[in-house]
Amino acid sequence: MSEPEAGFDAHAAVTNGAASATPRLPAFPGPQGTETGPPGELGMASGLGDGEGAVEGDIGEASFGEKDAAGEGGGVAIIGSDDRELVTHTGHYLWRAIASLRITARDGSLWVGTAWFISPRTLITAGHCVFIHGNANPNRNGWVSSIEVVPGRNGSQRPFGSLTSKTFWSVRGWTEKGDQNLDYGAIILDQPFGQNTGWFGYGVFDDNKLVGAQAHVAGYPADKQPPGATLWHHALPISSVSPPKVFYPIDTAGGQSGAAVYLLENNLPVAVAIHAYGGSTSNSGTRINSAVYQNLRRWSL
Amino acid sequence: MTEIVGTVTGPSGGPIAEAAVYFLEGPVPLPDIAQLTDGEGRFQLTAPTPGTYRLGVRGPGFAAAEVTVEVGGEAEVVAEVRLS
Repeated sequence: MSEPEAGFDAHAAVTNGAASATPRLPAFPGPQGTETGPPGELGMASGLGDGEGAVEGDIGEASFGEKDAAGEGGGVAIIGSDDRELVTHTGHYLWRAIASLRITARDGSLWVGTAWFISPRTLITAGHCVFIHGNANPNRNGWVSSIEVVPGRNGSQRPFGSLTSKTFWSVRGWTEKGDQNLDYGAIILDQPFGQNTGWFGYGVFDDNKLVGAQAHVAGYPADKQPPGATLWHHALPISSVSPPKVFYPIDTAGGQSGAAVYLLENNLPVAVAIHAYGGSTSNSGTRINSAVYQNLRRWSL
Repeated sequence: MTEIVGTVTGPSGGPIAEAAVYFLEGPVPLPDIAQLTDGEGRFQLTAPTPGTYRLGVRGPGFAAAEVTVEVGGEAEVVAEVRLS
């Protein structure tokens, strides 16, 4: 990690909209109550959304469909064989709190990503899903023009419809420096979709808690049919962490950028990172450390 | 950085719009975002550094395809993909 530039606040929040980044107090309460202090604080408790009780027994048994029979493996983000499993019950929590993204960049190019609700109007995703940095085409770089958000999508099924957002947040370390350690952002909706879908919890945890913990990633990969339209999940222990990142051998593919990397606490999802990169031996996400946590709080609406 | 540009076509050579193109492998960690081809089947990804890149392509209704691209630091590399 490079030395920080004097006077440069890499985690300073920036937006393409007119909103200010004022910390919201109190936090959106969830069924588990309010937050505790840092570090190792448990932030927004998971909200289940309207019209549904607790998760249906074991999340794995209730929601997973079949594995991809083709077993297409290899490649950087798929480590070894492809062990992702199709999720078919996307109308149910927690899956409905995950959304496929259809991103229109500044130059009109189209992209596929993933995001997840942290509050009724706010989804979290990778910074490069809301602000393109370092593309060889300069007309493409900058804030994306719009993102169509489809929560709980399952192929052609859109159980909650869709909304298009044009308001995004990220941080200066990503938008000005393209620092991969600061690759995170938010999508703000005009309507409180998340009241229907529920949302994820998120928190700051010590290294000892994270390394070896069973982590989950569920997102909308473009290597499945139809591209970016079905939800796939895989879980494995976190292999290592650094102050800004979390590393894991969980299988992912293009389109899953922005997915939550989450633990299950009392059978409810608590995000610990935002998936962003595929690597040769492990994939990685932006760790929810104290600075990231504070921005997620600020962005919650 | 180098632009990897190309066109995705079908078995008869016609362009395939909204085919997903994404990195499968490269010399450095790469963002897990996928591009959709435009109405003329075109795509453009950025290779951040020289090396060997493997791209995956998934067109609606087509089997997945792959193409390997060698990037040596030039401004642009062309990669054409025909789906079957």
